[in-house]
Amino acid sequence: MSYYDVDAILTDGEKVPCTFELDVPYLGHLDNSTTGLKPGTALSLPLWLAEMLALASTGDSKAPLILNMPPCLSERVIAALRADPRSVTLREQNVHLYGVGVRMLDLFDERELGNTLRKTFVVRAGEVGLHARKADDGSLGGQGEEFLRGLEEWERSLFRRAHEGVKSAKEWTEKVKKS
Amino acid sequence: MALPLPPGLVPSEVAFLCEMEHVTIVPRQRLESIELLSGATPSLRPPRREDIPLWLALLLKKQRRANILPPPWLHVDSLRDLIHHETVTDPTGWSLPPPPPVRADGRGNARRLNSGGPDATVLSPPFLPSCTSSAPAGALPYHWFEFAEMLLAHASDDIPAASDVRSLLRDLQEVRAAKMRTSIAGLESGVDGVMSLLGVGAMELSESRGFVTGVVEGVRKLGASAEASRREEEEERGGADDDEPSDDDMGI
Repeated sequence: MSYYDVDAILTDGEKVPCTFELDVPYLGHLDNSTTGLKPGTALSLPLWLAEMLALASTGDSKAPLILNMPPCLSERVIAALRADPRSVTLREQNVHLYGVGVRMLDLFDERELGNTLRKTFVVRAGEVGLHARKADDGSLGGQGEEFLRGLEEWERSLFRRAHEGVKSAKEWTEKVKKS
Repeated sequence: MALPLPPGLVPSEVAFLCEMEHVTIVPRQRLESIELLSGATPSLRPPRREDIPLWLALLLKKQRRANILPPPWLHVDSLRDLIHHETVTDPTGWSLPPPPPVRADGRGNARRLNSGGPDATVLSPPFLPSCTSSAPAGALPYHWFEFAEMLLAHASDDIPAASDVRSLLRDLQEVRAAKMRTSIAGLESGVDGVMSLLGVGAMELSESRGFVTGVVEGVRKLGASAEASRREEEEERGGADDDEPSDDDMGI
C-alpha cells in the first residue's frame, strides 16, 4: 500500500462500527449527546481512528473501544458472496470493499473471510476481463452494464487496466490496416 | 513521478521488434546485397527465393518489387488445426511454440541447429526462421499475431484465401484471449503456483499484461495477512524441531 495511493487514503476514511469500553467525557458531540460518551456506546468511526484506538492500551487497562466487523463484511454479505460472487453488487455494500477487507483481515484472524474474498475477487476478475474486452464492440449489450455498475474500486481499476491493454492492441491493429 | 508508460512493451514496440523477423520473398527485380547493422541481406536475383527482414520485404512489396511467401502456419489448414487443438485437444493449455529448427545430417539423424559446441548461441525469436517458408506448420511463433496482421494489411494478395485466414485469425485470437482470462482461475487458492505462458505470443502478452498482473496483485494483497500468519506459524514450528538434519550436519 503506497503512501500516495488515493484509494488507500479513502479506504482509511471508511467508517466502521465500534463500541466504547471506557467513559469518555467531552466527546459527546460525536454521538449528539450533551454528556460524555458512556461505556457501551455504539459509534461509527473512520478506520484510521478506530484501528488506533482498538489497538491502543494504556498500561493495565483494556483498549478504549472494541472494533466490530463493518456491515459490508457481515455474515449475510459473505454468505451471498459464497453462493454467487457475480450476483452481488459490491459497490452498494462498500466502494472500497476489498480495501476494508484487507484491513480487517490484518486485525482479525479470519481465514474463512480471506478465502471467500479471494475467491470472489478471482471469479469477478474473470468477468471483468471479459467485459473489458467486449466493452467496445457492444456484443454483450445491456446485460453487462449492471454488473459494471456494481464494481468496487479495485475492480474498476482492474477494468481500466484490462481495457487499456485491449484498446491499445486494437488501436495498433487499426493503424496497420490504414497505413 | 512514475513513468507514464505502462510496464512492458506497448503494441507499437512489439510490432517494431516483429519487423526483424525474416520472411521469404520471391523478388521480381535484381537488388544487390545491402550492408545493414544486422548483417548483409542476400543479393536478390529473380526468381530465386531469399529470406530478408520483414520491414524490407514490406518495403519491396509496396514498391511491387517482390512477392512475399506466407509462412506455412498462416495457411487455412494450419490455422484450422490450431483452432481445433486449442478448443478440442487441449482446452486449457496453450498450443506449443514451434520446435527448434533441426537439420538432418548425412547419416539420417536429425539434430538441432546450433546446438553443441562451446561457442554455439541459443537463438531466440527474431533470429529463428519462424516466419519464413521453412517454418513448421501447425505451431504459432512468438510474433504470430502482429506478423499475420502486418502481412494481411500489406500483402493480402500474396496470401491464399486471405479472407478465410483473416476470420480464422480472429477466432484464434478470441479463443486464446478467453483462455488467458480463465487461466487466472488457478489463483483462487492463492499465489503459489506458476502460470505457464509458454506459447503465448508477444502481442497477446502486451495486451493482457495489465489485466493479469492486476489480478495477481489483488490476490496477493488479499492474501497478505494470511501469508504473514502462515510464515509466523512456520517459524514457530521451525524453532521447535531444530534437530532436523540440515545440510551442514551431513558432513559434506
